[in-house]
Amino acid sequence: MVQLAVENVDRVLDDNNGQKINVLEDINLNVGSGEFISIIGPSGCGKTTLLRLISGLDTPEKGRVEVDGNVIDQPDVSRGYVFQHGSLFPWETIKDNISSGLKATNGRNYDKKLVDHYIELMGLKGFENAYPHQVSGGMAQRAALARSIVLNPELLLLDEPMGALDAFTRADVQDVIQRVWKQTKTTMILVTHDIDEAIYLGTRIVVMTPRPGRIKEIVDNPLEFPRKRTSDEFLQFRRQIQDKLNF
Amino acid sequence: MLESVTASHKVPTKLVKKSTSQTKYWKPYQTRWNLISLLTLVVAFLENLLVPAQELVNNVTYRWFLVAYFAYLTIVYVAGAVVHGKVRLYSGHFAQLNASIGILLVIQDLLTEKYANIQQPFFVSFAQILDQMKTDHALLLASTWSSLGLWLVSFVIGTIIGIALGLFMGRYRQFNYWAFPYLKVIGIIPAATWMPLTMVIFPTSYLAEIFLIAFSVWFPVAFMTIGGVQSISKDYFESAKTLGFSESQILKKVVIPGALPNIFIGIFTAMGLSFTMLVISEMIGAKVGLGWYINWAKGVGNYTQVYAAIVIMAILFSVIFSLLNKFQEYALRWREKTN
Repeated sequence: MVQLAVENVDRVLDDNNGQKINVLEDINLNVGSGEFISIIGPSGCGKTTLLRLISGLDTPEKGRVEVDGNVIDQPDVSRGYVFQHGSLFPWETIKDNISSGLKATNGRNYDKKLVDHYIELMGLKGFENAYPHQVSGGMAQRAALARSIVLNPELLLLDEPMGALDAFTRADVQDVIQRVWKQTKTTMILVTHDIDEAIYLGTRIVVMTPRPGRIKEIVDNPLEFPRKRTSDEFLQFRRQIQDKLNF
Repeated sequence: MLESVTASHKVPTKLVKKSTSQTKYWKPYQTRWNLISLLTLVVAFLENLLVPAQELVNNVTYRWFLVAYFAYLTIVYVAGAVVHGKVRLYSGHFAQLNASIGILLVIQDLLTEKYANIQQPFFVSFAQILDQMKTDHALLLASTWSSLGLWLVSFVIGTIIGIALGLFMGRYRQFNYWAFPYLKVIGIIPAATWMPLTMVIFPTSYLAEIFLIAFSVWFPVAFMTIGGVQSISKDYFESAKTLGFSESQILKKVVIPGALPNIFIGIFTAMGLSFTMLVISEMIGAKVGLGWYINWAKGVGNYTQVYAAIVIMAILFSVIFSLLNKFQEYALRWREKTN
């Protein structure tokens, strides 16, 4: 069980001219176990910064980020992070990439069956020994997802992992993420600028505004699973979120 | 355990493997050129046999060389004509080059041995060099081994020091702060400059030679390694942290492989410098080695011996170069091919 709490968080960065920018201002967010949170907003609203604060890759100037009452100040295997460009190690094969976290934490006696299982699950069979540049963008992202999920994290942070993919591959990876979420019941937080994606996956939608980055509204997603991107309810909810984003 | 997640993309398409030999050996196979190249060797043989010589040269070794070369090409061409594949591509690609070598052999033989257009003893025929190599083979072999051993030890030491310093300076700011200014100032000094001092400081000249060669190696390797480490994308370090890597694992699994392309650039730069330093230091201080052999031959005025040592160096250094190149290809096999 994991309970994430973000309380009164501010993050200030210097811009190139030495001026202070409030990247995040007064962020409050509570995430319960098994939720799928979609954070949506235009570029520059600090959504990636928020995700980095939750992972521990970055620390806030003010406020606190806690998991189960423990303050986060550094990255940890219990919080997986999938980067926008996957960041698979180009010098390792797909299989070695997926098992890299297990090797790092468990040494040589890591669960090789688990790795094989996820290779199968993510449709990467036959590509185990390929290097990242030899596979498609969608495969690379599925491998990056597998690399994090194989560590069985309590929280999985997804930083626009579909941002660089074409529309068809994107829908495919979205389905992969949704099924992994349903089956593992891992709490997930997705950062995206794609409204459809946010609605398709999220149980709650966090709408953010830029300069300074603030949470404008947190909306419960009323749509039942399985969701259909073309249903009337979907399109209606989409309009609702779209209206909130037009500021 | 989960059920299978991906409905689509179930059957992966086969990885497309580009044939590297096809891009490497791009000249088309032409029987004509293969025959011409054999013909040039026949001409070279007959010319050496029939044209009267102005100078006294033992041509036996040279003629055996031509026969061996001819036999080798015949085998390659026949194999290429019968077996369709890599051998055929190889034989087709190099046919024109082999023909040019045959012509060059004829020309040099006519210019030196046959008509003495260019003067001995400073210019000698290839036949004479080969004969010299045969006569002197024991000493040349010993010299070659000695040079190879000296180079290998020094190069490995220099490379290891260079990589270690480069990795630490690239990775750790504190270390970089204290070490980099010294590296810049000391490393830029040409290794040969230290020669007078090393001869006195080191107890044996062999140690002095190792120092000089290693010194020529460590700086380019260290310098390129620093750049290599600093060019690694921040994303990989952050991924490693979220995947639970310890600092030593980051060093082993991220820093070293990430810097490896640059490390190899450094190693190849250093290789040329190390060959230079090998020969120079052997010429000055040594009692063995190819550099010493050249210096000794110069002393007694036998320039054929100088050429013999040069030919051996050309072969030795080319072999080292291509072995290192093969090693690089293997170590960086994960990189996207640009061509």
